[in-house]
Amino acid sequence: MMEPAQLIGPSSALGAPAPYWFLVFFKVLGFTLHTAPMHLWFAGTIVALLLGRSGAGHAQLLSARLLRRMPIVIAYGVNFGIVPLLFTQVAYYKVFYPATILMAWPWFSIFVLLTLAYYGVYIYAAGLHNGAGMTRLRNAGGWMAAVLFLTIGFLFSNAFSLMVNVAAWPQLWLASSVAGASVGTALNLGDPTLWPRWLMMFGLALTTTAAYVGIDTGLFAGGEPAAYRQWARSLALKLYSFGLLWFGCAGLAYVATWPVELRDAAFGGWRAVLMVVTAVAPGLPWLLLLRQSRSAGGRALAWTIGVTQFGVLALNAVSRQVVQNLQLRGFVDVTSEPVTLQWSPLLSFLGLFVAGVAVMAWMLSRVIAAARRGPVPGRSAEPGPEVRASAG
Amino acid sequence: MHYPWWHVPFLTAPMLIALVSVLHVVVSHYAVGGGLFLAVETRHAYRTGNERYLAYLKEHAWFFILLTVVYGAITGVGIWWTIGLASPLATEALIHIFVFGWAMEYVFFIVEVTSALIFYYYWERLDPWTHQAVAWIYAFSAWMSLVMITGITAFMLNPGSWPSGHGFWTGFFNPQFLPQVLARTGGSLLLATLYVYLHAALTVKPPSLYRLIESRSAWPALLGAVLVVAGGLGWYVALPPSARAALADASVLNVLTVLVFACTVVVFVMLYLGPYRNPGWLSPGFAILFFASGLAAITTGEYIREAVRKPYILYNVVLGNQILAEEIPELRRSGYLEGGTWTKAFVAARYPQVISASKVDSAKLLSLPENDQIHLGQTLFQYHCSDCHAAVVGYSAITQLTHGWTAEMIRRVVEHPEKVAFFMPPWAGTTEEAELLTKYLASIAPPHPPGMNYGDGRTGQ
Repeated sequence: MMEPAQLIGPSSALGAPAPYWFLVFFKVLGFTLHTAPMHLWFAGTIVALLLGRSGAGHAQLLSARLLRRMPIVIAYGVNFGIVPLLFTQVAYYKVFYPATILMAWPWFSIFVLLTLAYYGVYIYAAGLHNGAGMTRLRNAGGWMAAVLFLTIGFLFSNAFSLMVNVAAWPQLWLASSVAGASVGTALNLGDPTLWPRWLMMFGLALTTTAAYVGIDTGLFAGGEPAAYRQWARSLALKLYSFGLLWFGCAGLAYVATWPVELRDAAFGGWRAVLMVVTAVAPGLPWLLLLRQSRSAGGRALAWTIGVTQFGVLALNAVSRQVVQNLQLRGFVDVTSEPVTLQWSPLLSFLGLFVAGVAVMAWMLSRVIAAARRGPVPGRSAEPGPEVRASAG
Repeated sequence: MHYPWWHVPFLTAPMLIALVSVLHVVVSHYAVGGGLFLAVETRHAYRTGNERYLAYLKEHAWFFILLTVVYGAITGVGIWWTIGLASPLATEALIHIFVFGWAMEYVFFIVEVTSALIFYYYWERLDPWTHQAVAWIYAFSAWMSLVMITGITAFMLNPGSWPSGHGFWTGFFNPQFLPQVLARTGGSLLLATLYVYLHAALTVKPPSLYRLIESRSAWPALLGAVLVVAGGLGWYVALPPSARAALADASVLNVLTVLVFACTVVVFVMLYLGPYRNPGWLSPGFAILFFASGLAAITTGEYIREAVRKPYILYNVVLGNQILAEEIPELRRSGYLEGGTWTKAFVAARYPQVISASKVDSAKLLSLPENDQIHLGQTLFQYHCSDCHAAVVGYSAITQLTHGWTAEMIRRVVEHPEKVAFFMPPWAGTTEEAELLTKYLASIAPPHPPGMNYGDGRTGQ
């Protein structure tokens, strides 16, 4: 009988380049930043497509508003996802690499599927611009993207549940190996936490999508008819309520699949407070959306919805991290890695990070100013027709 | 050896890295050079008040974003995905050494993406000064992204004095850093022009606008070709001796190297005589030919850069078969199967009879039944050899290399691979384990091809 902990390799002789708290702070921060846009494509794409099919005018308008922005949402979601991946590989390398190698082909397929999904969204969104019209191909692109995003989410749930399900490694590995080498097809399907985890993430993604609708309606939809805005606010509340119910049910099912020791540890002491706060936190954006649906509210309310939903995501990321460490503690203590602090590169990174934020802030300030001002007088640069028309 | 090996039939796992990397570099270099092109040319169009050129540049920016922000960004992430699967120990080491290098590169990258999207989506709304400033922010951050990544990839080929002190900056500013930054910057300029020519040839109709694009984009490409050659020469000079020897010894590599330099010179001459001196010569067919030559040169260059590093992934630090160079003496003493986290677990699970005092006892391996010995030989092949060799069919398959070999011939190679070919890793196991691997290789070695005339009546069988 193989002891699963035997499959965890030695610590890197190079040492961690920074203390654990620093690495995990950026891992959790990056994951939170990634989650917000990722939720929009994970649940938002299929919600928007379903709204688009409903035939109702307001629903189609909201669908178009969501999907027109989706390419930019994806650009940021993908790029923010690099941060947690980077710090996961530094702090959790002993479990991250084996888990992903055991399911290498599905894991490898993610970036291929993501490329297809991304272009699918672009193809669909192109049909929403300049009255281009929605052809069958464009529709198919959108639906393909929605299905692929759900699939990619499922593969991620597999990888990160397998990463902590060390006990399952020996059986999965020996059942799918060629002379001890992994064939890379071992999904974590036997893990009872897998499905509820994936469904829970989808429920939370529905709430983020709903919060986004509330934010969009309060901040950016000023040019749309008042009736649309009222409808969208109402929909945001309904969608959030539905997402919350889904999240709650899947969350309970998820916790129910935990071993007793994990449940005791997660709901003991200060962690119990964290878990409870995480569970009830979505109630705050829900209340704000309720208020928005009844009184319209203003820009400040929309901003507050955004900030509180971000807080919900951050709390989920922190709780997820705490549970992840608890699940791993029987096999590896990720907090006790030797540290060889790289002071100068660390400070260079922090300095550059501040400078980068400043440059981004400057660019965004110019964008906001430009959006308020409208097009620059005398400039019209619609490219295609002009270039081609002058061909004579 | 700290991680499970990923068995990829036919291709081998590391070749997936090569595949994804090649798919990435043909766009990532354009992301850098194209950014400079858009910044310089947008400035020119504003200064000369050329609205038609501005309109073309906006159209090109859309093409640029679709290619670089989507395909380029995701294939870049794809490289990460793939190296973690195919070279986990090397990735672990690289990330421990350079996590803050990557984090800095990431800051540049996120600024790059933001500025690219603002540059395109706010084209009519930003005043010309701000619009140009955003373009230059993109160009600078994209180039810095190249610089940061090149510091890390150049380290893999020649870490310089890093092994003695493990300093981040010593590793980053390694002997290969400057030559590779020069070559990659040149490659970016050159490739960007070839993308512009291809795009313009297929979309622009007015002859005057087409000629303007041709002539204005020629000079950065000429400069790029010069930088590629200068950087390439510097790269050669800063190669470790074994890499230079690999380049000279492997006929495929020296042919390819000559081809890369020759292609670059030919492209330079064609650019000078064509678009630079005689704008108007550039037909769509010519643009496609240019583009294909550029892709061929850059992908071949990447292949050579990777190949000459053998047998290392991180030169003198991590070998291709995912062991640290410093682990070899101990592995020779205690055994390759015992030294690997997953190989040891595999032996313990499948052949507990060879475990003594919780260790794989090499002396007992040869007492196993013949089939089990061959099976463990296959395990050794997977973990020691399959980073470069498929087994029966595929990339550099062992069976293609061992036609008609006797067990004795195989054993000699197994025991001293680095003496047979210096770009192979040394044997890192015990004598008994070498015997197991020999038995496995002998079991799959095909006979000498029949029917060959050696002039003495033998037919090579």
